[in-house]
Amino acid sequence: MNPIRDAWQSIFRRDPLSTDKGKSELVFLNVWLHIHPAKVKKENLKVKHTFYLGFITFYLFLILVTTGVALMFYYRPYPPQAYQDMKDLEYVVYLGTFLRNMHRWAAHGMVICVFLHMCRVFYTGSYKRPRQFNWVIGVVLFLLTLGLSFTGYLLPWDQLAFWAITVGTNIGSYAPLVGGRIRELLLGGHSVGQSALLRFYVLHVALLPSAMILLIMVHFWRVRKDGGLSRPVWKLKAESSAKLVSIGAPAEPAFRVVPASQDKTYGLMEVVTGKPTFETVTAEEEEDTVFSYPYAFFREAIALVATVISVMAVSLFWNAPLEEMANPAKTPNPAKAPWYFLGLQELVSHSALVGGVVVPALAVLALVAIPYLDPNPSRRPADRKWAIRAFAVFALVNVVLIVIGTLFRGPGWALVPPWVHIAGAE
Amino acid sequence: MNRRTFLNWGTAGIAALCSGIAVSLAAVVRFLTPSVFYEPPQMFKIGNAADFSFGPPTFLAEEKIFVFHNRETGFAVASAVCTHLGCTVGYFQTDGRFHCPCHGSVFGADGAVAHGPAPRPLEWFEVTLARDGQLSVDKDRVVPAAYRLLV
Repeated sequence: MNPIRDAWQSIFRRDPLSTDKGKSELVFLNVWLHIHPAKVKKENLKVKHTFYLGFITFYLFLILVTTGVALMFYYRPYPPQAYQDMKDLEYVVYLGTFLRNMHRWAAHGMVICVFLHMCRVFYTGSYKRPRQFNWVIGVVLFLLTLGLSFTGYLLPWDQLAFWAITVGTNIGSYAPLVGGRIRELLLGGHSVGQSALLRFYVLHVALLPSAMILLIMVHFWRVRKDGGLSRPVWKLKAESSAKLVSIGAPAEPAFRVVPASQDKTYGLMEVVTGKPTFETVTAEEEEDTVFSYPYAFFREAIALVATVISVMAVSLFWNAPLEEMANPAKTPNPAKAPWYFLGLQELVSHSALVGGVVVPALAVLALVAIPYLDPNPSRRPADRKWAIRAFAVFALVNVVLIVIGTLFRGPGWALVPPWVHIAGAE
Repeated sequence: MNRRTFLNWGTAGIAALCSGIAVSLAAVVRFLTPSVFYEPPQMFKIGNAADFSFGPPTFLAEEKIFVFHNRETGFAVASAVCTHLGCTVGYFQTDGRFHCPCHGSVFGADGAVAHGPAPRPLEWFEVTLARDGQLSVDKDRVVPAAYRLLV
């Protein structure tokens, strides 16, 4: 009897990794890894199918949680200490600037990656049956990302933060009937002040991250339950695409049980009768799969390391902005919201109600409804030219509005190209 | 238990559950609404009449108001908070108008919207003479733009 081997085997109960059984057990006997399938389709590991954007987004979230908790050790959520703590992080706390930079740049990166991930899922038609609801969860996760960014934006309590939140919450107050009330509840007062800072802090470090973690779990779970990653579009043959998208209600043999081979065991799902509501793997496709260990895990690890190193590298060279302390008496000119809301601010500069409430509300509703409104069952790009064009316009309008708001708006919100310098303007 | 009893109790149970949820939601909203606001008072004194020169308005940054003092017509107090999204407007002597730095709204000397996305004119507040001779402004009392206090 070997006590060390005993102890090891009490923790890791799997067979050696040299065996197929060991490779499977590594995945499904491990609470952290069992969200993966034991085997994955080779084609789904290809970078050009997903660009690993979902993983990168999740890794950025992990960086944000880690650095965020670290920053909490040195942050007091009331003015003016909040701003003094920023200065302490900058000049006194060991690695303070670096951690704050990482937190800020990872947050920006997450907004970008969520958006790109959404574009990828749209262009590959992966929101279609049976994955409609996971798209909806994705849209909510996108909104939560924006909410986390927005609440975090106030915490440094500098001029940038104060006026961005003043403008941002005033946009909300244009919502009919409940707008003013929501603003008062959010701020805990009539203007951005001490109670607003505390409320944004609680939302930022407790409420929204919890909601985020819960929904991320559901999102990942649904990826598995909806049949894993969608097949790459280049695998969709013209004649078979109709069959591929009819999953959920297979046309002919309602349910075909793949005959069991000698060295495999089957779970309960093979015994029950009825139609599967998820994509199933046929015997032929089984040939095309590899074990998650090491093929998928290795690629995911590469993506993780690349993400962390990128954020660290950016944080070494660029510092997160910090302006002077919040001064309710002095509005900076121009006063701008965070960059991802500058498209919204651009709309708001034309009309607060239409631009600030009606258009964004309709945009979110349209995003949520996409999988239910799109009647086209095919995922092949050739079959969905108009959907692709429409989404391209949507994405492009967003980008153009943000670029105008960020680079082309000067003092007094006048249209000024970025290469023109205005004397005295800060 | 017969069908009627079951339905009665079932309905009562669902009604109790729904009202319980409604009461809880109302309690949450009420809990989040502060009972006391630790904010600057809406009514405050700004000093003696003689402290304010004639000509361009005096900007009081803390209170976010402009105090106009005219030799003939007297005092008027305008809000410096843009009616669009709450930025603080500036008074430009060059054109005698208020300009908002956030979205480019421009208000005329009487507070009326001259240009930009602002939906309403700037507010004018009641200014009165307190017992101790100081001017007193009440931001809860909005008055017409023509309101003047002659001291």
